[in-house]
Amino acid sequence: MNKILVVDDDTDILGLVEMLLNSHHYKVRAISRWQEIDNSIDNFKPDLVLLDVSLGGADGREICKKIKSEKETASLPIILFSANPEMGKFLKECHAQSFIPKPFELKNLLGTISHYLNPIN
Amino acid sequence: MSIRKKLVLMQVFTTVLVLIIMMIVFIASDIKEYKLRKVDSMLGIAQVLGTNSISMLQFQDQAAAIEMLAQLHNVSPEIIAAEITNNHGQVFARYPAAGEPEFSLAAGMKENSLFRNSRLLIKYPIISSKEKIGDIHLIVQLTELQKLMKSTYKVALFLLLLSVGFAFLVAFFIQSYVSRRLLNLVRTMKKAVSTGEYTVTIADEGKDEIGTLIQVYSKLMEQIKENEKKKDEFIGIASHELKTPLTTVKGYIEMLKLMETEHPKIDFVESAFKSVLKLEDLIKDLLDVSKIESGQLQLAMENFDISRLVDATISSVQMISATHNIVRKGQMENEIIYGDIKKIEQVLTNLLSNAIKYSPGEQKVIVEVEKDEKELTIKVRDFGIGIPVEEHSFIFERFYRTKGSSVHISGFGLGLYICRDIIRRHNGKIWIKSMEKGTTFIFSLPISKKTQIV
Repeated sequence: MNKILVVDDDTDILGLVEMLLNSHHYKVRAISRWQEIDNSIDNFKPDLVLLDVSLGGADGREICKKIKSEKETASLPIILFSANPEMGKFLKECHAQSFIPKPFELKNLLGTISHYLNPIN
Repeated sequence: MSIRKKLVLMQVFTTVLVLIIMMIVFIASDIKEYKLRKVDSMLGIAQVLGTNSISMLQFQDQAAAIEMLAQLHNVSPEIIAAEITNNHGQVFARYPAAGEPEFSLAAGMKENSLFRNSRLLIKYPIISSKEKIGDIHLIVQLTELQKLMKSTYKVALFLLLLSVGFAFLVAFFIQSYVSRRLLNLVRTMKKAVSTGEYTVTIADEGKDEIGTLIQVYSKLMEQIKENEKKKDEFIGIASHELKTPLTTVKGYIEMLKLMETEHPKIDFVESAFKSVLKLEDLIKDLLDVSKIESGQLQLAMENFDISRLVDATISSVQMISATHNIVRKGQMENEIIYGDIKKIEQVLTNLLSNAIKYSPGEQKVIVEVEKDEKELTIKVRDFGIGIPVEEHSFIFERFYRTKGSSVHISGFGLGLYICRDIIRRHNGKIWIKSMEKGTTFIFSLPISKKTQIV
């Protein structure tokens, strides 16, 4: 079963996504505090990270860059998540795999996640 | 007519007017001087003639007299006629014999010179041994003067035309200094208005009124740019904030759609509804702020019991907060103040819900009401995460939310901005005190005369 780490400072959205992914048979760890990301990656060992960009006091893009720059986590697929559609332009810069806007379509969310969990190549 | 043309015409008109006046003055004084000199010289001639004719008169030598007068005419052809009369006004000698019509005036002349038509009439007494024995009359044709005047007028006209041309030239160059700057400003303004770009600046160092106009215009443009920037920022933040609860609502409702209709999950409905309420609050705040900005927020003032309002608000907030315990310190009986009861309730509710939001876990919130003769003070104390001193000056500003918490606390950061506006409109003050643990929000309202109920 695939493990997904969801990071978002809004607890309502966190609840929604966790419930959604759970009901589609993913194992989910949902955290609202970005300080816990490193810990969670080490302990939970997710197969994919869904990362909100505007985390109270931190920028998801910077966190993404950092995760991607470390050897052990460089190949971990990261999907950026934001209410600001402009954030989609930063994918290349922070080496994220994809971008999902808020509000999102269920199909879109699930489709993107499954795509990056089972790469075609 | 453009300012340019006006300036030019003004200058030329002034120049021409001044010139004409001066010319008139000079020409008139020239003519006057000429006449005076003429009179002087003619009087001189008359005197000499008179002296010469004394003996002729005494010895009644008419022929000699006529001869003398004829010679006079030859020597000074401008003297077209001369006559000598005796004491009784009878003509003694005359040249030419036919005389001139002006001679008839001679007898009545009181002055010794008279200008009539284009002639000068001179009358001079012939005096012998202090006794007047007759008069000598001269008629001078002022052809010289006429010639002088004609040529003067010609020259004057020529000079006038030359000056007008010159004045136009000079005026044209001078006005360009003034109107160039004005036209530059007008051009820039037109461009700004038509393109909607307020970025063009004008380089102008003039320290006069036009310089001031340009400065004020630049400041105005800066203000507009600033407003546009603020507007764009506001829209950006607003849409981001609204999309967050909207995401939750949409997610749950979409799930409900996809599920079998016989088993709708009630907790999905609850979660969606919770977010709908959040959205509602956000939109209310937004509307309040936009009303404040456009000056439309009206206060509905009345006398009401603040003590009862505090108690009522505490109860209603307490009802929806399971985790916190709101306590009122001290007790006050019926304190009537004058204000907008709904807006004051809004302030209290906001401060209480902030106190709860920013003190996670099970906590206490203490409300205190105090009064002195000038004002009423209400304090709301929480034991939460607190507000660092550096942020004290910012928290009442729009969109400001303390960075102390990493969990998303919903709200635009507009609540305190709205509270401050409400309190200020009541002529009150609102401020904060950071405590060792948590924060105290304090606001004061003046006890106005209207509340002194006897």
